[in-house]
Amino acid sequence: MAQVLRRRGRIQVKLDSRERDALLRILGELQPTLQTNLGRPPRAYDDPQMQAEYDRWVRPDVERGREADVAVVRDSLEAGEDTLPLTEAQALAWLRAFNHLRLAAGGILGIEEDGWETTLDERARRRPEYGVLMALGYLQEELVAALES
Amino acid sequence: MATSTVPAPVRDPERKERVDREFGWNVVVWNDPVTLMTYVVLVLRHLYGYDHETAARLMLQVHNEGRAVVATQPREQAEVTVARLHAFGLQATLAQP
Repeated sequence: MAQVLRRRGRIQVKLDSRERDALLRILGELQPTLQTNLGRPPRAYDDPQMQAEYDRWVRPDVERGREADVAVVRDSLEAGEDTLPLTEAQALAWLRAFNHLRLAAGGILGIEEDGWETTLDERARRRPEYGVLMALGYLQEELVAALES
Repeated sequence: MATSTVPAPVRDPERKERVDREFGWNVVVWNDPVTLMTYVVLVLRHLYGYDHETAARLMLQVHNEGRAVVATQPREQAEVTVARLHAFGLQATLAQP
């Protein structure tokens, strides 16, 4: 099972080839739909004029950053190693990418309220996006624990 | 002996309003049902340098009350951190108190 360790200040992600392939498949399937499945673009201001300026000058950078974070994860996975050493910056990129992918999966599943972990019906739990939510959530918890240790 | 050359303070309500507008922007983080609590704590610690206790208290306020003011900063700085919060996938807005 996937594991994240911190040894002598360095973060190591241990993933076998099956787990790496599964993650690459998730990236391939969900990344193109991120824009749609993340719902409306992030709002920064109530004021429409200020929001329009934010959309024009800041949001493109946020979106480019999201693409770059997913690329960091893909590059690490495509190296084909069972143990992937990550710098702290790379670990943060993994966390950000996983969060966007989880939000997209949550959007596909129609999750809008807290408590979905116990209330989601059986049909939703059988969908692949539910597996994505749980698997990436596990890896996020592991990465957070490694970064906090 | 030299006398003081410091000018007497001038009351200028417009200036005060301008200063408030530029320096008093709240960064508000909103609850979402998918993002992990531990991740929110890590993001707040990473972006603002909070200790674990402060970041955890703010995260719980977001979770329980739906939102929390996580910082008050000059507008430009607040906008940069809101963009970084968006990059982390958190819902965040700027608001004047």
